[in-house]
Amino acid sequence: MSTRLPPLLLLVALLAGWEAWCRLGGLSPLVLPPPSAVLATLWSEIATGRLWPHLSVTAAEMALGLGIGTLVGIGTGILLAEVPTLGRLLHPYVLASQLVPKLALGPLFIIWFGFGMTPTVVITALICFFPLMENTLTGLTEIDPTRRELFRMLRASRLQTLLRLKLPAALPVIMAGLRVAVVLALVGAVVGEFIGGRIGLGASIIAAQSVMDSSLIFALFVVITALGMLLYEAVRALERRVLHRFSKG
Amino acid sequence: MSTEPGTGFVAIEGARYRYGAAGPAILDDVDWQIPRGEIHCLIGRSGSGKTTLLKLAAGLLLPTEGAIRIGGKGLSGPSPHAGFVFQSPTLLEWLSALDNVLLPLSLKRRPTAADRETALDQLARVGLADLAARRPGELSGGQQSRVAVARALIDNPDLLLLDEPFAALDALTREELQDDLLRLCALNGTTALFVTHDITEAVYLADKVAVMADGRLAHARRIELARPRHRDMRYAPAFAAACRELRDAMDGVSALNERPAA
Repeated sequence: MSTRLPPLLLLVALLAGWEAWCRLGGLSPLVLPPPSAVLATLWSEIATGRLWPHLSVTAAEMALGLGIGTLVGIGTGILLAEVPTLGRLLHPYVLASQLVPKLALGPLFIIWFGFGMTPTVVITALICFFPLMENTLTGLTEIDPTRRELFRMLRASRLQTLLRLKLPAALPVIMAGLRVAVVLALVGAVVGEFIGGRIGLGASIIAAQSVMDSSLIFALFVVITALGMLLYEAVRALERRVLHRFSKG
Repeated sequence: MSTEPGTGFVAIEGARYRYGAAGPAILDDVDWQIPRGEIHCLIGRSGSGKTTLLKLAAGLLLPTEGAIRIGGKGLSGPSPHAGFVFQSPTLLEWLSALDNVLLPLSLKRRPTAADRETALDQLARVGLADLAARRPGELSGGQQSRVAVARALIDNPDLLLLDEPFAALDALTREELQDDLLRLCALNGTTALFVTHDITEAVYLADKVAVMADGRLAHARRIELARPRHRDMRYAPAFAAACRELRDAMDGVSALNERPAA
């Protein structure tokens, strides 16, 4: 508990400073709303129930995008690692596809998939795909050669070597990729909604901007940050469980 | 000639090995026989080709020329009759000591209760019965090496191949493990080929010691010490004489090649 106290005190001090600056500095609430106004807006959004549909859509987009991106990323990583010819053939293209700014694909995806959740989910999945593919590929190709020799000596099949040696040994690297992907998923979902969303936290920010409601924008920041931290902690908990099972000690 | 029973359970016949078609020869025309139940040691400086020869005997590498036979049958891949102990313990850190020992069996079939009993017995034989549930990270270096030996022996291999398995251990632990190894090999009549750069280790363990240099067998000597071997033998004149002769053989080889003794 004592480790959490100093950051909490810092937060209180910062909020108090911010509040004082807004009240005493004569700053327009349009430019920077005081925290009290942000909290009031946040509370009214929660109390009236206006927040929930937006929150659930963004959370669903994040979860779907992260889930699909993770599965396809790990799958592709395994394929490129296990079939080196394919890896050498495709890796430049995979890399090139990642250098295309994926958010710029948003307008194209709206043409392809229409408005709604799909384009945002696709963008989020594309963003999450890369760290998982890259980390899976790295993890699987950097297995200690002596261990591979051990599995050869024990005449393990290719599938056994993958499932019993390579994937467990690569797990810490893959989980690190997942942690990066969670953070990116939030960016993907929110910014994806900027482009084509009607519902969702990102779409709400655009809507609030159009009526110059800065305190609503700040309230949405708070919600987005909380959502991100929740998911990040969930992945950390998963990681701890998995790594406890699969690593030292 | 060399495939007839009795002469060599392991028969290495005119084995050559080189990397690539035109690469330098790592092994050059090696002939070696290990009768069933004997322990042979290979000594030599780093880069003399001893590990390569061991991997050829395991079937992990195939000779460019010549043949390797185990029990009269030519090798064309990793031998099902051989257990291998690597330089490092090479344990899977996400498995318990017991599951590490079980690995060779669990890759073949779903381990039965009897298999688990066998693995526990094997751990007990290397003195680790109480530590079966520990992960490798919770074991000392010597204990990890013991688990690696138990894993190599679980499938009752006819041939045990060891690549400097105790090199990283302190002298006392190393001597304990040497005694354990001799006991285990005697128990099952296991044939063994042991690579080391430690002359006293080779003399203590072996029925026959070969000195390798530049990919060739430069010298060989039978060790006429009684079995079972005992710690006191290390201080016997015959032991010292054998060590001396092998050391001279190693030096003689390098003098012959006009190499500075590094």
